[in-house]
Amino acid sequence: MEQHSLHLYDCTEKVISFYSDMVYRLAFARTGTKHDADDVFQEVFLRYVKKKSLFNNEEHRKAWLIRVTINCSNNFWNSLWRKKTQELTTDIMFETEDSVNLYTELQKLPAKYREVIHLFYYEDMSLEEISLTLNRKNSTIRTQLTRARALLKEFMKEENYV
Amino acid sequence: MFREQYTKFNQQVSPDKNLLQDTIDKAKKCEKQSNSKIYSFRKPLIILVSLCLCACLAMPVLAATVAPIYQLMYMVSPTIAQFFMPVQKSVEDNGIKVEVVSAYIHDNVAKIYITMQDLTSDRIDETTDLFDSYDINRPFDSSAHCAFVGYDKSTKTATFLITIEEQGGNTITEDKITFTVREFISHKTSSENVKIDLDLADYKTESEYQTQSPNGGGSSNENAALTEERKFLVPEPTIYPIMDNLNLSNIGFIDGKLHVQMQVTEKLTLDPHGYFYLMDENGNKVARDYNISYQTNRNGISITYDEFVFDVKKEDLQNYRLYGSFYVAGLNTKGNWQITFPLEQMN
Repeated sequence: MEQHSLHLYDCTEKVISFYSDMVYRLAFARTGTKHDADDVFQEVFLRYVKKKSLFNNEEHRKAWLIRVTINCSNNFWNSLWRKKTQELTTDIMFETEDSVNLYTELQKLPAKYREVIHLFYYEDMSLEEISLTLNRKNSTIRTQLTRARALLKEFMKEENYV
Repeated sequence: MFREQYTKFNQQVSPDKNLLQDTIDKAKKCEKQSNSKIYSFRKPLIILVSLCLCACLAMPVLAATVAPIYQLMYMVSPTIAQFFMPVQKSVEDNGIKVEVVSAYIHDNVAKIYITMQDLTSDRIDETTDLFDSYDINRPFDSSAHCAFVGYDKSTKTATFLITIEEQGGNTITEDKITFTVREFISHKTSSENVKIDLDLADYKTESEYQTQSPNGGGSSNENAALTEERKFLVPEPTIYPIMDNLNLSNIGFIDGKLHVQMQVTEKLTLDPHGYFYLMDENGNKVARDYNISYQTNRNGISITYDEFVFDVKKEDLQNYRLYGSFYVAGLNTKGNWQITFPLEQMN
């Protein structure tokens, strides 16, 4: 996972390239389909360009992109048009059966749990950081993470709970 | 472990190259359109604000008793001012008064004029920058930005224009907006295209280096990815002071490339920043190949080292001179300024 970041006054192209995987993977975690993740991905970076503001530091920019990815995914998820037209299918061909099984189990979770799982296990964010980023209480995040783990119990056998 | 399994799972999820390129193209296009929109809007505004300042000087009594921007804008150009609804809501903290002067909604765009006035000293000037410390809370999904548009020296007032655009292209409905500012920087100084009076030929030897995890950097060279530990010069006590909070802390070669290291302090409070470039004998600029930075903490003080790396040969070094452009603010003022005001459609 990329731990390093960019310079604050880097060009937009560099920023998009650098954060492309982070935004796309979070969008996919939240929406569950490649088609939807594609749309959210474009929307996030268009908002980034329109925002035009400088960020205090790289963590600020990263947190902003995570927050906007979640917001865009929420908006997309809630849109009436989407509810009527999209089926929950993925076009991503996973390489192993384990990944296919994990994807199937993840899709059974509420989207809110999936985003918490993603930020905790993939972005290595602490409960406090997730709480600040998603603007939810620390206790709510902890509960959502615990419930998500319980629902993913087959994959969590060796996992230490926080 | 679930973490490893989930990481492997995610490594199979990436945006297509076409999607990435398409997004970059769209972003560039949007950036161009947005820049030209601001430029075309700002230019008449600068003229307008200049005219306002002239009128203000002629009528100090009037200017002191009414909200200057709206009133003077109306006097200078009623056709523009008529689109703006007066708001005139203000808040004062730390001797700084922040006022929402007027607002205007057109379709999916809202524009709001904000003034900041120093009631006690001269902390606000023509370089005042809200330093991204502002928040614009609105009840609809939108993008927003705030731009400096002018400064009135006689009233020590800076004016900012907030532009809010509804994301879905829908008409903005009447509602409340909350504008918050927590800090601003001002009294910025700059030294642009200054010659660094050092003989680069004195720095031809390979230097001692350290490895650090970079926390930033930039390059037009895609190969210079910031994903691993990188070699940095070992900082020396200042070998060339540039400006307050900016020092040249070492120069030398690492792996055949010239590194020029800049030490930056007070990065998060005064926004010191800058860049180096080389100039050859014919006056041609040579940009850095890339720059990388790392951050360290010494006695509780955060220090950033930004290293500019040039692809030049040691034997050619005597043909180059080092130049740079540098910027830093002189003041950081904190406070709690928050205003909630209605956004109303023009009837």
